[in-house]
Amino acid sequence: MKYGGYKGKVLGINLTTKKTSTIEVTDEFARKYLGGNGFAARYLFDMVDPRMDAFDVTNIVAMMTGPFQGTNAPTAGKYYMATKSPLTNGYFDSVSGGFIGAQIKYAGYDGILITGKADKPTYLFVEDGRVEFKPAEKLWGKLTGETQESIKEEIGDPNLCVSAIGPAGENLVRYACVITEYRAAGRGGVGAVLGSKKLKAIAVRGSGTNEVADPEAYEAWMQWYKEEAKKVPAISTGLPTYGTPSLVASIGKMLGAMGSYNHQTEFFEDWENISGERLKKEFWDKDTACPTCPIACSKVFSAKSGKWKGAISEGPEYETIYSLGSMCGIDDLGAIIKGDSLCDEWGMDTVTYGVTVSFLMEAYEKGLVTRENTDGMEFKFGNDDLMIAYIEKTAKREGVGNLIAEGSLRAARIIGGGSERFAIQVKGLEIPGHSARALRGMALGYSTATRGGSHHDPRPTGEYAGVSDRKAVEGKAPWVIGTQQMTTIGDSLVNCHFLERVLGFTLTQKWVDAINPITGFGYTLEELTDVAERILDLERSFNVRVGIRRKDDTLPRRFLEEPIPEGPSQGMYTDEQTLNRMLDEFYALKGWDPKTGIPTREKLTRMGLEDVADCLSRSGISP
Amino acid sequence: MTVVVAQEKKPLIRFDLKKCAFCKICELSCSKYHYKKFGDSISRITIIRKGPLMFKYFICTRCEKRFCIPACPTKALSYKDGNIVVDPKLCNSCGDCVKACPFKGIKLHPETKLPLICDLCDGDPSCVKDCPKGALSLVWLPEARK
Repeated sequence: MKYGGYKGKVLGINLTTKKTSTIEVTDEFARKYLGGNGFAARYLFDMVDPRMDAFDVTNIVAMMTGPFQGTNAPTAGKYYMATKSPLTNGYFDSVSGGFIGAQIKYAGYDGILITGKADKPTYLFVEDGRVEFKPAEKLWGKLTGETQESIKEEIGDPNLCVSAIGPAGENLVRYACVITEYRAAGRGGVGAVLGSKKLKAIAVRGSGTNEVADPEAYEAWMQWYKEEAKKVPAISTGLPTYGTPSLVASIGKMLGAMGSYNHQTEFFEDWENISGERLKKEFWDKDTACPTCPIACSKVFSAKSGKWKGAISEGPEYETIYSLGSMCGIDDLGAIIKGDSLCDEWGMDTVTYGVTVSFLMEAYEKGLVTRENTDGMEFKFGNDDLMIAYIEKTAKREGVGNLIAEGSLRAARIIGGGSERFAIQVKGLEIPGHSARALRGMALGYSTATRGGSHHDPRPTGEYAGVSDRKAVEGKAPWVIGTQQMTTIGDSLVNCHFLERVLGFTLTQKWVDAINPITGFGYTLEELTDVAERILDLERSFNVRVGIRRKDDTLPRRFLEEPIPEGPSQGMYTDEQTLNRMLDEFYALKGWDPKTGIPTREKLTRMGLEDVADCLSRSGISP
Repeated sequence: MTVVVAQEKKPLIRFDLKKCAFCKICELSCSKYHYKKFGDSISRITIIRKGPLMFKYFICTRCEKRFCIPACPTKALSYKDGNIVVDPKLCNSCGDCVKACPFKGIKLHPETKLPLICDLCDGDPSCVKDCPKGALSLVWLPEARK
């Protein structure tokens, strides 16, 4: 490998045969797909039959790194996981903080590809070039914290990095996550796919190193970054002081765009009770950071008094305050902290869990479900005991927990009665705390995102910052395309999307300047943009083979038909006609067929993906 | 540049648990300074996390008793200007110094197998310089104790 930031090989794991293999990462492959997201999109397209069930033995999990991992570049302490999602059925990826990404590099790999299914609970131990399939019967059923500690103890290395699933993953909760230390590859059910493979955990330790291509240019870039970051208040003071909960005031109060009571409103009256300022003042214990992150937006909070006294968690983040808090009508931060830590321990995504519970609460309010089918429980907004109690029941799929474990879309289809209208999801993935009604870009962004309701495909930040007018329709398609390209490159490097504040909300020369010293690619902005488009087209082509078309690029009916009823963003929404107008422009710019939303042969060829075009033709999908 | 210190003065890299955010930038700054590479296994400072609020750091504390020096069977270790110095010609990589250090301040380089001991980066410790939280500081004993 002549480029910097790579090890030149990916570790292949076959859980069925307990055999390992090495997949070479060539110079050309690295340059074409960059890392993380790009590598995984290519591997999944080539190796997974998208028509098969996500829990089928043929599904794979790609645990990837990019050229950033193992270096001290800001926010490089990440790792990337991708699989076919049991929640959306489409291509899905989840990025988490954790030093395990660096350890994979230090062990000599650019990633780990997990295929097959173990016959018994297993965990993987990778140490430099050595791989062990370890028995995990004793760990099965254990919470994520205890699992990590047990494995560190068994191996006898406190520096070992462990990514683990909880009981939710074992029991195939469709949004089960993977936990590393206290951070989650949260969304889309990567943990459930690992559970289906009976893989409890992945433990990695490497004694090697990672090197950048041009140390001098890299050092100069690091100095530049430090100076630039100082000039951005969100990065230099806002996030370090309050973390993401500071958004409760700016989004919830100022903008009135924080979904509440299952998005029956977006202005949470009691926003002050769940604000970042209050968290910091009354609940804060400690700042923490993902590895190599100078921002340290993460915080350990604990309840010092009240009903939930003693509850402690690294978090909650803004999204969790939204999903377990305002969405469920709960304004007790102690309950939200408790729920946050329980979701981590049992191993499930806080966003989908909270939004599914809030969906059920609205269904209960409307009489679509009654006590007879909710284990005799009052599924009322504001019931914090219920929100807490059903985390464990959902992880174990007990009672109505079995329904919650399916996510809001599947739950709506089971309940019926037109409830799908207020299942707050896109393509099956629950929408997080960034309004599709108050931010025009997020309406188009969620609709077209590979993952559906994810704020890490399109980004809301530029619209909050006023760089793109949140109400405008004109110019929104190129803006959304730009933010999706940026996140795709970010997920390939792999870095935290907060770098957008310094490097740009869309791809810019600053992104190019961050990549070249590490890799030595000598990318131009044009070539980097093509890398992003190539990856996005691969993801879309994967989804096209699942059956996803233009008709699926839409929003919950509630968002297309009901304006925000009150508050600073009162009256805002994107109706179907407006969404369609933006979609037309979006597909035209992407080079996707305007009728079907399928990437055209011409576009795929231009991206160097003729084989993908051939595959779509062979499958009878496109001419 | 070598720091010349009076015999009674002793440098110490002090750790403030309240400020540390467990970002590990110190580890990678250390490896970058000494080897122009990134890796925690070649870092002379180690931070580990024990539970949500407890982080521990391991580095040569320049302790009074210097357990490592007499533990070395080949006399490869000596104390000079506030630092434990390794003579690579004498060291046989037995690891006895690692075991002797009660502060877990020494580990062996995975390739050269030589002991990794903090040398203060020629007087301007890169871990201290790069810590974004100001959790590490270079202090001089005994004055700093007063």
